[in-house]
Amino acid sequence: MQSLLNWFFRSSVDTVRETAKDRMKTMLVHDRLELPAGRIEVLQEELIAVVSRYFELDRDLTKFDLNQVERKASFVANFPLLRSKEC
Amino acid sequence: MITSGKGGVGKTTASANLGVALANTGASVALVDMDIGLRNLDILMGLENRVVYNLVDVVEERCKLRQALVKDKRLPNLSLLPAAQTRDKTAVDADQMKKLCEELKELFEFVLIDSPAGIESGFQNAVAGAEEAIVITTPEMSAVRDADRIIGLLEARKDEIKEYRLVLNRIRPSMVKNNDMMSVDDVLEILSVKLLGVVPEDEEIITSTNKGEPVSGTDNTRSGLAFRNIARRLRGEDVPFMDLDPQQSTWFSRITKFFNPAARV
Repeated sequence: MQSLLNWFFRSSVDTVRETAKDRMKTMLVHDRLELPAGRIEVLQEELIAVVSRYFELDRDLTKFDLNQVERKASFVANFPLLRSKEC
Repeated sequence: MITSGKGGVGKTTASANLGVALANTGASVALVDMDIGLRNLDILMGLENRVVYNLVDVVEERCKLRQALVKDKRLPNLSLLPAAQTRDKTAVDADQMKKLCEELKELFEFVLIDSPAGIESGFQNAVAGAEEAIVITTPEMSAVRDADRIIGLLEARKDEIKEYRLVLNRIRPSMVKNNDMMSVDDVLEILSVKLLGVVPEDEEIITSTNKGEPVSGTDNTRSGLAFRNIARRLRGEDVPFMDLDPQQSTWFSRITKFFNPAARV
């Protein structure tokens, strides 16, 4: 539902200009790091698997961002934790 | 050096215009066409009929540097060193270019090197003699990506290239306003680079190329003014950036904006 809402909301606001800008940023982070396509997605799945061993996660609100600060890339992960698990 | 990575974004046009604009401020200027095998700068300057010797002839010592330099039709303090048309990029190497540029620096206040497209030997030769770089791009994704690649290469040569700045060419203010293309700020944010100038899209550029008279040499064109501003910045003047907003805010555009809030920026 959340993603559907997101999709609806975004599509009404997103402009061609923003689409270009977002694509551009993702592309350049990959270019600069020589990062193969799909590698980030694999990393995200592995991170979720590791954190899930210790915590119950709110998967809908789990967020990953690949950004740039100046010309340096940064990867930000946000895991909303619901409760800890017995290890 | 004037460089871009991608072809067709306006390197040669910018070189010709900055050459004329700088010469008009009184400085002595040499324009060097490094696009060996694909010579074009002479056409934009309207000097194609005066080319006798070229850069490769100088490097291979078939003539003296002064013999190969072609004086501009109107500006005696502006000279062109043409590229060879029948050779290729391997005709010179980085050391030869370095030596040639040293010689030119002794004779002129400004030496503008028009780099060929690409990141191969042509770029490497052009960068060898340079101290500063002007990176040209348009606000299109492919051009910005290639500019980023060039910036990466320039960063890796920090010791030789003391400074590099961006010229954003062919901006279409009305399309930016409608959010149909990236703005100047968008491109600057993405590339994180210092801005040297913004040049609006202008049909006059085509006319001026056909006449062999760069727009920066004549008044009353927006692109010409933009290039003259860049030249003044290169001379160390603090010139504010042009306001590229399309002025016409009609009742119609106001109504469209009211119904399409995304276009309100």
